[in-house]
Amino acid sequence: MEFKEVVGRRRSIRYFLPWRPVERDKVQTILEAARLASRAGNADFARAIVVQRDDLAQADLESLTLPVNAGMIQMAPIHIYWWGDLQAFAHDMPPRAKEQVDIGVLNISHGWTHKFINEVAYPQVVQAFSSDDVLCAKVTGCESGIAISQALLAAVDEGLGTMLCTYPEEPARQVFGVPDHWTALWVQFVGYPAESWEAGGQRPRPPLGELFHEGHYGKPFRGTEEAAARLRAEKMIQDPAPLPWRKEEVRAVSRMLGLPEE
Amino acid sequence: MPADIENTQTVQTWLAGLEDQSGVSREEGLQRLAVLTVFCTLVEKKPDQIIDECLREVNGGKRIRAKGRRLYAAKISEFEQQVEGGAGEKRQKGNYIRSFLIHNGVLLQTSPLL
Repeated sequence: MEFKEVVGRRRSIRYFLPWRPVERDKVQTILEAARLASRAGNADFARAIVVQRDDLAQADLESLTLPVNAGMIQMAPIHIYWWGDLQAFAHDMPPRAKEQVDIGVLNISHGWTHKFINEVAYPQVVQAFSSDDVLCAKVTGCESGIAISQALLAAVDEGLGTMLCTYPEEPARQVFGVPDHWTALWVQFVGYPAESWEAGGQRPRPPLGELFHEGHYGKPFRGTEEAAARLRAEKMIQDPAPLPWRKEEVRAVSRMLGLPEE
Repeated sequence: MPADIENTQTVQTWLAGLEDQSGVSREEGLQRLAVLTVFCTLVEKKPDQIIDECLREVNGGKRIRAKGRRLYAAKISEFEQQVEGGAGEKRQKGNYIRSFLIHNGVLLQTSPLL
């Protein structure tokens, strides 16, 4: 699938075929997409615990269940519990940045040397970020989010349904035994969709100019109709929700799965 | 159908929600209400009491009482087992009760029926 169509087809899928397993190589593809995402200092912010739903003990499954994830946690055969490593920047940046100097990624042309990393970048930037809880959470969340976004798109590209949802942090720590410096982010549910991939249509979003500004706050970014038409032709912009048959689809899928229909 | 149940605020909210959001007619809604009435008899509560036990007022807004929701999620599962009908019909009747809670602001999800 072309990139723009992958972006255009991504939806939060909330109905999965509980009985259809996901091929292991597809899960690997999702994780590779996350591993290869952009990240500050080439540090390992995004961490994950991949779980086959049917391998979870019933008590563990129940402890990970919240009212808002209860349906998906039972339906999706694969759960990827995403965590952010709060120590990643401080721990990984110096050796990774030096490695990037050595392999020609960070270069003299942009001021990068081992000395600069040791004497400026690490003490003045990385340590400042890492010693400020808010900044640290901001960087960790943002950098992990980039990886998670690629994981979502990879799942769509593999023909799977996927969505992000919340999970309870403390029970998850108990179940998975993760280090204390990992912070809970989202669980990504993965499976074959029980609803159509359109899932009712592309979600309503404000126009570009309401979200994005040009040059100065308050001056909306203006796109062109020609560009929008090209993105429609390339399937990035798709028919918006609600598609006319959506309510019937939801009822039918709910009935099939024994979920409340109305 | 006991009028005192039909006229309660939570039942009216439910019936209106069924009609507005899912196109369920008033007559069909009353059929679902008959199932809720059986459930209410089983748990010895009125509809408004059930919702009161699942929600609480906080700063002028409603918050879910986790204990109450857990209790009624379990009661609905019990009801499903006891009520007459095949597996699909039992689940459907349980879902009518879940629908009553959901339309009154008690977020509740259930496992798929496999």
